[in-house]
Amino acid sequence: MAPTIRTEHLSVSYHRTPVLHQISLEAAGGEVLALIGPSGCGKSTFLRALNRLVEETPGARVEGRVYLGNMNIYAPSVDVTQLRRRVGMVFQAPNPFPFSIFDNVAYGPRLHGVTDAGELRRIVERSLQEAALWDEVRGKLRRPALTLSGGQQQRLCIARALAVDPEVLLLDEPTAALDPLSTEKIEELIANLRGRYTIVMVTHNLRQAARISDRTAFFAEGRLVEVGWTRQMFTAPQDPRTEQYLTGRYQP
Amino acid sequence: MHHLAFFVMLGAVLVMAGLLLDVVREGLPHLTWQFLTSAPKERGEGGGIGPEIVNTIVMVGGAMIVTAPLGLLVGMSQVEWRPPHAVVSVFDQVRATWLSIPSVVLGFLVYRVAIAWWHWPLSVVTGVLALCVMNWPMMVSVAVTALRNVPATYREASWALGATRSQTVRRVVLPAALGELINGWGWAMARLAGESAALIMTAGLNVSTHWSAWGPGETLAVYIWYVRTEGYGARGSGVAAATALTLMLLIALILWVSGRLSDWRQHPGR
Ligand SMILES: Nc1ncnc2c1ncn2[C@@H]1O[C@H](COP(=O)(O)OP(=O)(O)OP(=O)(O)O)[C@@H](O)[C@H]1O
Ligand SMILES: [Mg+2]
Repeated sequence: MAPTIRTEHLSVSYHRTPVLHQISLEAAGGEVLALIGPSGCGKSTFLRALNRLVEETPGARVEGRVYLGNMNIYAPSVDVTQLRRRVGMVFQAPNPFPFSIFDNVAYGPRLHGVTDAGELRRIVERSLQEAALWDEVRGKLRRPALTLSGGQQQRLCIARALAVDPEVLLLDEPTAALDPLSTEKIEELIANLRGRYTIVMVTHNLRQAARISDRTAFFAEGRLVEVGWTRQMFTAPQDPRTEQYLTGRYQP
Repeated sequence: MHHLAFFVMLGAVLVMAGLLLDVVREGLPHLTWQFLTSAPKERGEGGGIGPEIVNTIVMVGGAMIVTAPLGLLVGMSQVEWRPPHAVVSVFDQVRATWLSIPSVVLGFLVYRVAIAWWHWPLSVVTGVLALCVMNWPMMVSVAVTALRNVPATYREASWALGATRSQTVRRVVLPAALGELINGWGWAMARLAGESAALIMTAGLNVSTHWSAWGPGETLAVYIWYVRTEGYGARGSGVAAATALTLMLLIALILWVSGRLSDWRQHPGR
């Protein structure tokens, strides 16, 4: 069963400029939680706090707690490598490594010590199948990943993230750089992954949030304004700012 | 504006082609297998540039083997591990200044230290030292540029899969930067192969009959200078042209090989 991921009073600042204020939010095990909000409100920062990637940014400072299941991921005893293995991430622009398709997917498993060729092949095939890319690339695994189309590259990145058996998937605008057809494929894929993984997805596409998320959280100016069942929020938002945003009239 | 640029370029190309043709016309008749393989002779007919070719390759290669990895290490620590800003900016200042020092001055410096103080002989090794002193800032620049050009998103993707910084550098950043590194190294080697001023003072104007690292290490570029300045008789200009032609071919070969390797790294399978 996929674990819950929960923040408690999570605040992040870059060079002492606060960008997230006291966010307490939970994604239940196996659900798809969509994060929406105006540009610059801190959605990506929030996502990066969930796998501690934010710590790689110079000048970033995190306060508060983040629980994966019942483990506080910022506790000193936590091994970041193990954490990131459990919490996978996919970025806005597809960013496959300039290696072959196979080596891209095998990157994570190799990192974590898998050396057996047969096992690697099994992992790569399973991950590509899970990412709905296998049928398009079987027999071409030695081709450079950068020869794939944008949509295929993004599914490859999803396969790469799935190859290390994560429990949580963080998706930062995974379809922002893609055409409608590729977007549809990725949405279908996310719908299939729901349940097996806890998914937190940032999107600027409100219809996309409405289509594939169970719950939606609306951020504005570094604060969590409202979170609720997607259907409820899109039909009857509680906060006037949410309503303004959903109807395209939000002004900071 | 476009037309002007075009004509200036055309002019430059024509002048270059003319000069090149002149060298080829004068040098080609001398360029025999015997010339390429035998030792130089001050007087009379015969003689060649075999030892100079060997010295050029050994010294450029030696200097690269020492400075390329060092430059890469320094570049890596600068780009991938972000030491304190103050340290980096002082170091960059030193590096930029060093790059602007004429090679004669650097050669003289090496002469003062290695030959006058440490009593090293005028030799291949001392010449390699001079080339290293000249080349290290280039090597750091090449490394820093190549590493900076690796998209940050590669690093993020790697960290997000649980890789440490050093794993990311070794498994993603270096392979991704290798094409550009090879290219930069090629250009640096071409520059070193053409160096003469610094080597006249440190490697000398002679070759020994039995090659030795501590023996004198005249290179092709130095030999051209020597032949042109010390009257070599009537055949001097022919010998110089043939040596120049050889040097140009060597440099072209270096650039071609490094360019091919670099292309192949950047677009595998093409
Ligand atoms: N590396 C950084 N250094 C300093 N400030 C940063 C950095 N990254 C982001 N910020 C700032 O933090 C704030 C939140 O940025 P973030 O990228 O989290 O927003 P976002 O909601 O994801 O925006 P978008 O929808 O445009 O992707 C912004 O004001 C941004 O300028
Ligand atoms: Mg963002």
